[in-house]
Amino acid sequence: MKSDPSTRACSPTGVSRRNFLRGIPVLTAAAALPAPAVAASADTPHWGMLVDIRRCIGCQACTMACIQENAMPEGSFRTVVSTYSVALADSAQPAGTYVLPRLCNHCDKPPCVPVCPVGATFKRGDGVVLVDAERCVGCGYCVQACPYDARFINHDTNKADKCTFCAHRLEAGLLPACVETCVGGARVFGDLNDPQGELRRRLDAAGVETKVLKPEQRTAPQVFYIGLEERFAGKVVGQGSLWKPRASHA
Amino acid sequence: MKIQRRDLLAAGGLAAFAAGFSQTFGRMADAFTGERPEQHKLHGRALETEFRVDPATGELSVNPHQQVSYTGCLGCTTLCGVRVRIDKDSGKVLRVAGNPYSPLSTEPHLPMKASVKESFVALSRFADKGLDGRSTACGRGNAALAQIDSPFRVLTPLKRVGPRNAGQWKPISFEQLVHEVVEGGDLFGEGHVDGLRALRDLDTPIDPDNPAFGPRVNQVGHIVSVNDGREQFSRRFWQQAYGTQNYVGHGSYCGGSYRSGSGALFGDHRAMPHAKPDLANAEFVLFIGTAPGNAGNPFKRTGQLLAEGRSAGRLEYVVVDPVLSNADNRAAGEQGRWVPILPGTDGALVMGMMRWLFEHGRVNTAYLANPSQQVAEANSEPSFTTASWLVLMEPGHPREGRCLRGSDIGLALPEGAERYGEVDPYLVMGPDGKPMPVAQTSAAAPLEVDTHIEVGGKPLRVRTGHDLLRESAMSRSLEEYAADCGVPVEIITGLADEFSSHGRRACAVAHGGMMSGAGFYNAYSVVTLNALIGSLNWKGGFAMNGGGFPHVAAGPRYDLLNFPGKIQPRGTPLGRNFPYERTAEFARKREAGQPYPARDQWFPGAPGLGTEFFASTFGGYPYSLKALILWMANPVYGIPGLRERFGADLADPQKLPLVISIDPLINESNAYADYIVPDSLMYESWGWTGAWNGVPTRTLTARWPVIEPRAAQTPDGQAIGMETFLIALAKAMDLPGFGPEGMADAAGNRLPLERPEHWYLRAGANAAYAGEPVADASDEDIALSGVERIRPLLEDTLKPEEWRKVALLYTRGGRYQPASQAQDAGNPAWQAQRFGKPLWIWNEHIGGAKNALTGKRYAGCATWQEPAFADGTPMRAIHTQADWPLLAMSFKSALQNSYSIATPITGLHPENPLIVHPDDAAKLGLKTGDTAWLATPGGRARCTVLVHHGVMRGVVAVEHGFGHRELGARAHRIGDRRQPERPDLAAGFNINDLGLVDPTREGRPIWVDTVSGASVRNGLPARLERV
Repeated sequence: MKSDPSTRACSPTGVSRRNFLRGIPVLTAAAALPAPAVAASADTPHWGMLVDIRRCIGCQACTMACIQENAMPEGSFRTVVSTYSVALADSAQPAGTYVLPRLCNHCDKPPCVPVCPVGATFKRGDGVVLVDAERCVGCGYCVQACPYDARFINHDTNKADKCTFCAHRLEAGLLPACVETCVGGARVFGDLNDPQGELRRRLDAAGVETKVLKPEQRTAPQVFYIGLEERFAGKVVGQGSLWKPRASHA
Repeated sequence: MKIQRRDLLAAGGLAAFAAGFSQTFGRMADAFTGERPEQHKLHGRALETEFRVDPATGELSVNPHQQVSYTGCLGCTTLCGVRVRIDKDSGKVLRVAGNPYSPLSTEPHLPMKASVKESFVALSRFADKGLDGRSTACGRGNAALAQIDSPFRVLTPLKRVGPRNAGQWKPISFEQLVHEVVEGGDLFGEGHVDGLRALRDLDTPIDPDNPAFGPRVNQVGHIVSVNDGREQFSRRFWQQAYGTQNYVGHGSYCGGSYRSGSGALFGDHRAMPHAKPDLANAEFVLFIGTAPGNAGNPFKRTGQLLAEGRSAGRLEYVVVDPVLSNADNRAAGEQGRWVPILPGTDGALVMGMMRWLFEHGRVNTAYLANPSQQVAEANSEPSFTTASWLVLMEPGHPREGRCLRGSDIGLALPEGAERYGEVDPYLVMGPDGKPMPVAQTSAAAPLEVDTHIEVGGKPLRVRTGHDLLRESAMSRSLEEYAADCGVPVEIITGLADEFSSHGRRACAVAHGGMMSGAGFYNAYSVVTLNALIGSLNWKGGFAMNGGGFPHVAAGPRYDLLNFPGKIQPRGTPLGRNFPYERTAEFARKREAGQPYPARDQWFPGAPGLGTEFFASTFGGYPYSLKALILWMANPVYGIPGLRERFGADLADPQKLPLVISIDPLINESNAYADYIVPDSLMYESWGWTGAWNGVPTRTLTARWPVIEPRAAQTPDGQAIGMETFLIALAKAMDLPGFGPEGMADAAGNRLPLERPEHWYLRAGANAAYAGEPVADASDEDIALSGVERIRPLLEDTLKPEEWRKVALLYTRGGRYQPASQAQDAGNPAWQAQRFGKPLWIWNEHIGGAKNALTGKRYAGCATWQEPAFADGTPMRAIHTQADWPLLAMSFKSALQNSYSIATPITGLHPENPLIVHPDDAAKLGLKTGDTAWLATPGGRARCTVLVHHGVMRGVVAVEHGFGHRELGARAHRIGDRRQPERPDLAAGFNINDLGLVDPTREGRPIWVDTVSGASVRNGLPARLERV
């Protein structure tokens, strides 16, 4: 993952709020888009994730659990919580914290799949986008093609690498490592096609508040967000990060 | 959407799915009997799963190659219950997550009656149980396992080679270690050193001129970090068997000012009770100098409840802090807000709030007027205060500042009763205008009292605490308060309005941000806010901790407290946390006509002070140490200014003849040791830990060796660690309370205390039998939880009827009261665990005490006093704004603690830049990424600058946990082996290297808060210099 988890200082334009005790416009009060369509196929299960950013405390438990569970080499991250210090203009609160947990979006229209010259990257019937390491030649085309910077070349294996939704745990009837250790309870995982499931019920309840990263890319991400501030959906304009993770491949 | 988690758990109740099937352990393991590929083509090097749960039926299959055990984490002081996955073949710890039975990791936590199998299923995808029942480990808790097999661990006893702090050691045998530290001798070719046997002199006074100092054994001092569940074993040795008075923790350089300020309100300056917001039910919480969800204790539980409360829209909170943290979350909008403030000035903000509350009738005077618990409860209040009690304020009266007591006005005391003792009544103003005993009241007492009463023909001025507090709040204008703290008047008044608009579902709390030169009064002021709205003991208000289950006790099964020959340590404590007026020095000086100043400061309102150990021992006042024991302690890293001021003294064996450390790692402090004894680390160790605070139900976490300890063994095959070392010392010196008859069962039969498990398992028996005894662990529980490992120890140590009950606690990782019992069964609006003593609006112990350097009386209630040195000289009078235009501070990291540097955390977050406000950066032309010098009167450090608006203008802030010189940052030579070179572990800087000395005290010791004796790390005068 190219994005790093560090505190960034940045000044997205147009952020302001009224007097201290009279309510702060929520960053996410930007024009609400229609709720994105979920799950192109009706197959069950169709795995997806909801990240309720309001509940994220930026503790990086997900990041560290993923490193342990998936034996990530130092400096490589399949998931991470980007953390921003946001300047707020004309207000008593001069700045705020904005966090954004990032991972592979397991897109239903994954741009990484068609660019793979050897057919190593594929979308499985259960919705999970995976890399077959036996086929992968480490060319990095998929890394370039991902609009979310979710892929990287693993420098231990020299293969394309990314979040698998902990497919090995799903097969065992368990939850992805990041979900089971999410302290704030921000990450909700499940079958998008199960109307009784917790994930589906929460998505339905959130309605138009549910958003995805970079909807204009038409990748149909299967990772959804509540509380997503669109100004942080892509690269953030402003002060660059100071403390990048060591040995980062970004 | 409001998710009703409790409802979901109840509806999906564990019993419902578990009853449907039963399996043998063997069948549960069937699913894992295939080959084990090194690398899967799709899953890479991901771990094998620990078990499988059929998502349709909930049937569990366990992986026979892995052990899953519930035990305790030591990644920070929260001490959460965790589940540890271990590869059985290699003994390697694979991953750590939460223990679903533990309220420190799970909300709400599983009931104890759920079997281990059910607890595993509760973590799975089956019926989405693992989402609502998720049990977590934080980032640090996930990463801390790397320390177990760290190349920097101390695994054998070490003896220094060359001078102290030279980084060279010789591994020695356990027998040599014990022999040398007990017998002493010319241990280093530097002359004779007294050993622990010679130093254990229980009779000869340290100083014949000051016999109150106590016997020479007090010249052996001990510093420990935190009670990790083993503390009472260590205290049994050092205090009750060996006999020293001087045994302290790390509180005075952690959050000591907050605890002392809280102790003043709660009326106990030794135990320093404190309360926490009931975050599960609160509507408004004001966090001052503590960042919920970013750091603090209990870290995860606070973060989880904060996240839930703000996303559900129930909870609003404001964080007052000089630096922005992860406590803020813009996605949650106005549910949480950040108010920047100048460090060390919180008292100004709070007293401004109080002024507004008094002026606008928002003080809950009906509550404050209840003079006793009895009257309070009759008026439907679960707590009461001393606001109506009379305080003697006659100028020059010897008891000025103390409460008026029955004997002061001539009331007769019962035969043999001590004047000003417990039965000498406190008084309120009666309806007839005469003082009357509190116990005789049956209704509210007057709050507005400032009058003279006549005693023995002389008028005495008496006032209520309420009157004194209001005067304190009204002593400055809102504009003055605002100017001092840098928070605008409208925010101060807005906060006061909001705080007093939620009934009892509000509270104000603080913590480590109080460690400034005005720390005690700032903290006392913050907690006093809660008394003004009466939110203590209410659901949703200011809540007490649920407590634990008595274990180290004279309990139902074993007596872990009493033994023949037990010593009650005596003498003046080394940290001078004692009234100067009771010393021989005071008597002599008073005789000579000038009792003040004392030679140096005394701290009558403080607990044992590690901060002051060093000034005392190296200044010889009151006396010096002959030996210092450091157990898991790192004062050189943690106490601002200590290294600079006393590092050279610490390195000098002439000044401190013997330093012994017990620690699994070499840190900045025990690098100065003569000997290092290896200790167990986290999952290798035993212990019983409670929740420090913030859990409303009774909690006791069982920590036990879920893996084989890595340290070398004693000659009889036990792992070397704190316990085995102390047991060996006791044997060598023939001390009481240890050995073949060291302890006893409840019937008084003598039992051996010769192995760690003798202590911990019997403590566990007391916990298992506390109140209603727990059930027996089943064979399945024992097999699934890895407790099989210690089954022989359980069976050998405990009685036949006991061992399965203690095993039950280990299979569940502790004993936990059901989550549903947080509130009082009879009155669900009240917390079940309540504080039943008064809150001291005016604390007579403080208000009746004097500063030993000036003879001036301390204020006895919340007040705003700017940061100052010991004699009251304002810090800015010496280190002026012109010379030092900035205030520097540190803040607690969301990830890094003071000893987690050599873990994967550092790969994610390798450095700690100095956060500088854009306006301050612009003045110096600094931009993000620049290198600069941060200078204080205590020194300077090179730092990297990060410029953003998330810090108060005029303040520079840095995350704690970096700038290490040890813990891997320096490669030590141990025998012929050299530790790995990891210069990256030295990255960043430690603000404690820049701490100040106090120029108003003899010997220029390090700067501490004058009342609490706690170190000062927030609000250091500073300037930035371009490199």
